[in-house]
Amino acid sequence: MSGRFAASGRVAIAGYAQTPIERHAGQTLGALAVDTARRAIADAGLEVADVDGFVGSSLLPTAGGHAAEDGVSIVSPNWLAQHLGANPRYAVGFTGIGQLPGSVALAVNAVASGAAEVVLVHRALHNPPSRYHGNPMTAAAGQQQWTAPQGYFSPLAMIALPYNEYLQRYGARRDDMAAVVVEARKNGARIPWSYWHDQPLTTEDYLAAPTLFDPVCRYDCDIPVDGVATFVFTTAERARHLPHRPVHVAGYAMSALSRHRLPLHWPLDDIVDGGAELARRLWSHAGIGPADVDLPQVYDGFSPFVWLWLEVLGFCPPGEAHRFVADGGIDSDRPGALPALSGGGALGNGRMHGVPQMLECYLQLSGRAGERQRDAHVGVACHSSPHHGGAVVYTRDPA
Amino acid sequence: MSTGRPPPRPDERSAPYWAAAARHELTVARCSRCGATTLPPDLTCPHCGSTDPAFTFVATTGQGTVRSWTVVRTSFLPGFDDDLPFVLVDVELDEHPHIRLIGRLLDGVDAPLRAGAGVEVAFEDLEPDVSVPAFRLVP
Repeated sequence: MSGRFAASGRVAIAGYAQTPIERHAGQTLGALAVDTARRAIADAGLEVADVDGFVGSSLLPTAGGHAAEDGVSIVSPNWLAQHLGANPRYAVGFTGIGQLPGSVALAVNAVASGAAEVVLVHRALHNPPSRYHGNPMTAAAGQQQWTAPQGYFSPLAMIALPYNEYLQRYGARRDDMAAVVVEARKNGARIPWSYWHDQPLTTEDYLAAPTLFDPVCRYDCDIPVDGVATFVFTTAERARHLPHRPVHVAGYAMSALSRHRLPLHWPLDDIVDGGAELARRLWSHAGIGPADVDLPQVYDGFSPFVWLWLEVLGFCPPGEAHRFVADGGIDSDRPGALPALSGGGALGNGRMHGVPQMLECYLQLSGRAGERQRDAHVGVACHSSPHHGGAVVYTRDPA
Repeated sequence: MSTGRPPPRPDERSAPYWAAAARHELTVARCSRCGATTLPPDLTCPHCGSTDPAFTFVATTGQGTVRSWTVVRTSFLPGFDDDLPFVLVDVELDEHPHIRLIGRLLDGVDAPLRAGAGVEVAFEDLEPDVSVPAFRLVP
């Protein structure tokens, strides 16, 4: 069950819109989503009545006890379609992990099969007003009985274990991670809509930050935000006649199922082995390899993911990413380097769950990146962990 | 006696595991169909796929090897603030290397810890008849 995607290059992004990324927006999430969807549809040169498909993920990614209320803390595809006054024949939510690549895959499949001709993909992220991961549980039931009673809780603990396992195995140091975070913040500081606009981070500031779950410090974690992004997908054929240069989907892959573990337990070998399988599927699906990619956008919701994605996708050898990055390997200002965080990523924008990676691919490949415009032909937008996420290959040319 | 920490709430599948833990015994679930061991006990056997694994809980030596660890310096759960900072270890069970458990390392944050270090199970008593597996370094 592998091989080139039958619809490779046949579906394209025709337009987009995104809100500013803020700690707390002045509007409710649902209202933001409706406005942003209208802007994206207009950006693509279309009208609401043209949109016959809606796809998105409604995951609220907190470990805290926050309620998921449609239109308030999440926005489902059906909610958005209804409040836009649309009448879609296709409205589906992606419920797995790797929410944005998963949503893109559903949208691309719908357009390629003719289930819908114009699909709006959206992602709406909310920062609840109280402590993000704080959880007042008085007993640990269900899956959490295996981890919470001993104090293993939250995504920070989840990433701390494989991160430290990597440091121990390859002789890397926490100090090496400064190059990742400083690069993300450098690029994010150049982006007007970023929460971190004009706020680069110095290596000294990074190293001075206290650890929370060793070796993880606050700067290794993307900051929770309110924000909405929307993208309009249609056939490559139709996109050619719309105002903006289309960006084509060459292929995608979602992670292989991983080993049975305790909840939130991601041993390093699980990530690496699952990532290797994802990469194999991705290159096969898209009909390209890592040497063809000039715009990799690796996921960085936690900084160690940058090292892991670079390695599993074959941009540097296993165990070498910490040196590769520290030596300027992903420096967006260095000719010949791989600009793997040129869009600022999550660390340089805020917790937009794969949106900065996808948006950077879209903006650069459509020629809409303005002052930041690069000469790029093939992008990869990654999301979540290599063993528990997904990735999409975007190209400037159809195939 | 109560630590304020969230105790495990046993369910139909996990009750024998927690009953053994209360006796300070570390057990793993064994599928009655294929004999393979697992934790946590899933709805189906992750090895043979049986939908009726009828797990039994078998004793272990509690010996393991540290694969990773983290020092917890902030907690998102109630009841841990007085214990901060504390160490959590990611332990591969020596007899069941496909099973990894996470528990507190009771030796404290200054204990000499390295990947590959040997540990043995110990228990934290949260409430009467409620104990949670943890680990100690083997000298």
